[in-house]
Amino acid sequence: MTAAWGTLLCVHPCISRRPSYYNGEGLVPLRSHRVDCFPQKLFSGRQSKQRSWFAGVHAVAHGDGEMPRFNFIQKLKKPSGISFGEELMRLIAGASSAPIAQYISSPRTLLHSLDPRVKQAWLFVLVFLPSRSHVSVRVGIVMLLSVITILFLPRRTWQDQLGRVSFLSVLLLLMVSLGADSIPPIVQTRTPPPQLCGIPPLPSSFTAYKYVLWKLGPFQLTRKGLALGTTSACLSFTVLQSASLCLSTTMPEHLAEGIRWYLAPLRWLKAPVDEIILTLLLSLRFVALVFDEVRNIALGIVARGVQWKKLSSLETAEVFFTFLGRVFKNLFNHSEQIAQAMVVRGFQGDAAAHKVYYMANFSLQLPDYIAILALSVLIGVGVASEIMLC
Amino acid sequence: MQSALGLHSSTNLVFGSRKGVPCVVRAHVGAERVSIDVQNVNLCFQKDSNVLPILKDCCMSIPEGKLWMLLGPNGCGKSTLLKALAGLLKPTSGKLYVAGPKSFVFQNPDHQVVMPTAEADVAFGLGNLDLTVEEVRCRVMKSLEAVGLLELSQRPVQTLSGGQKQRVAIAGALAECSKVLLLDELTTFLDESDQMGVVEAVRRVVSGSDGVTALWVTHRLEELDYADGASYMENGHVVLGGSVAKVKKFVLEKQEEYKRSISF
Ligand SMILES: Nc1ncnc2c1ncn2[C@@H]1O[C@H](COP(=O)(O)OP(=O)(O)OP(=O)(O)O)[C@@H](O)[C@H]1O
Ligand SMILES: [Mg+2]
Repeated sequence: MTAAWGTLLCVHPCISRRPSYYNGEGLVPLRSHRVDCFPQKLFSGRQSKQRSWFAGVHAVAHGDGEMPRFNFIQKLKKPSGISFGEELMRLIAGASSAPIAQYISSPRTLLHSLDPRVKQAWLFVLVFLPSRSHVSVRVGIVMLLSVITILFLPRRTWQDQLGRVSFLSVLLLLMVSLGADSIPPIVQTRTPPPQLCGIPPLPSSFTAYKYVLWKLGPFQLTRKGLALGTTSACLSFTVLQSASLCLSTTMPEHLAEGIRWYLAPLRWLKAPVDEIILTLLLSLRFVALVFDEVRNIALGIVARGVQWKKLSSLETAEVFFTFLGRVFKNLFNHSEQIAQAMVVRGFQGDAAAHKVYYMANFSLQLPDYIAILALSVLIGVGVASEIMLC
Repeated sequence: MQSALGLHSSTNLVFGSRKGVPCVVRAHVGAERVSIDVQNVNLCFQKDSNVLPILKDCCMSIPEGKLWMLLGPNGCGKSTLLKALAGLLKPTSGKLYVAGPKSFVFQNPDHQVVMPTAEADVAFGLGNLDLTVEEVRCRVMKSLEAVGLLELSQRPVQTLSGGQKQRVAIAGALAECSKVLLLDELTTFLDESDQMGVVEAVRRVVSGSDGVTALWVTHRLEELDYADGASYMENGHVVLGGSVAKVKKFVLEKQEEYKRSISF
């Protein structure tokens, strides 16, 4: 018992370092009573080493599905000296229940009040524009998105979102731009080299044009690498960040309604638009359940205090198969219960007959028109850059 | 599937008699109108090749306009009885009558809440009622207010706590404005003040409107004070039914007996 108290006292200071988290509404203090959800055994030994790790797990692993923001740094820290199986299970148990950005209902911003269809049009353009336009336009779009994110989202949220996305993009930029030409593929040219034909080689250019921009050991930065790197980094930043921004300022059912509007012409082709939209809505709910379930079962296994080090790799694999089996069994059970709930709540199997209410009236207001105008300008700039600068 | 079970129809639902021929059960016992009537219901689950009897000769009748509590130990078949009343399970034999339309709230809110945000979920149950958007909005707001969740109406469901999800589920049932509410352990995830808030909300709905009946499954004795009557179930069988005082006395005696049996 004293040992347990000791560990509790040991855990508390690291909670006080992160006294609150963002739950989609505002800052909520971390509830210290949640600590006792964790078996004390887990904390014994190696306490000093594992403190920060457990603070991370603790903050993410509460059962309510509230999403703590700004935890990606904590997640990167790993405790040392534990077996692979245990580490993986802890990672799963510590994962957030909402891996993608989710709707933030307050504070309500201008972006919240924009029509979802306008936002989706922006999203669509932002996916396609960077891949075709000049590098300056790409970088410009990245800047624009970052500024909009910083202006409209709460600080913790944008720090977290931009942090993750920039981390990924910078990684991509480095890997692609250095990797594109560093290890040249060994290929046979179709024509014989000039020496063989007795033709003098091409004179080197008099201009300042250089294909290789920078060289360090086996790495070299070439024009091709730079173009590829900036394209992939900007494209992934734009796609991920615009999607996050849209998701965090638009209610899921409004997004679904926007998609329904865009899909409406397909009704002429007898496409089951209502089914698609209802399926989308149900899966939006179900995805969260899946993550919760996976996390809860992993937490259950971690809490059992399995002696991972004594398990052979076959036995570790067995634990994982049991885990997977359990997850699927529970999920099928969940979906059966949800189907029952839908039936008792009046759903008769026909998505077109069962109205889904969105609690919003879609009409374009002044901000929407301004957004559409801005979008046209952006498309214009993109097209112009492609014609004039490339 | 649903029309076969007669769910959500405003006509009275009937289940087969012992000979398998459907017949309408009397909806009057004495002078009082009855909203829920269960007569000699048996229900079995088929597991592999053996048959598990869950409800055994179960009898219960609940007058219209009452808040009725159903108590009993874990696994005695309360949820099963409620599912049978909702039309989700078919009794093997016996007669079952439930006035309609009816709403059912599951024991686990994760099974009930199907839409990604709170207000859309509350509105989901109204999808086939042919209402105007204004009316839907009004009902959604009113029922969210009744459970004290108005300010969280736009929150994604996965960011709500267990108790808040449960309140969304309850609001969904209230919004349907049904004549019969079948409520399975609504207060398991709630804290004490929320618990009383929800009982009071249901109490208000039952007393405030004409002829709404609620069957409330609970393990908490203090909730009995809000009820008009109660039944006690044991091993798939209703062993006692009637006034709150009678059932409370019976449960307290059982507790005493249990305490004596475990003390040395
Ligand atoms: N789908 C099923 N298949 C087989 N047996 C089941 C099924 N659902 C429930 N049972 C069994 O039926 C019995 C009654 O279950 P039920 O859920 O009705 O209990 P309960 O009175 O609601 O208990 P609690 O107070 O714990 O909610 C239990 O013994 C349970 O194991
Ligand atoms: Mg039950």
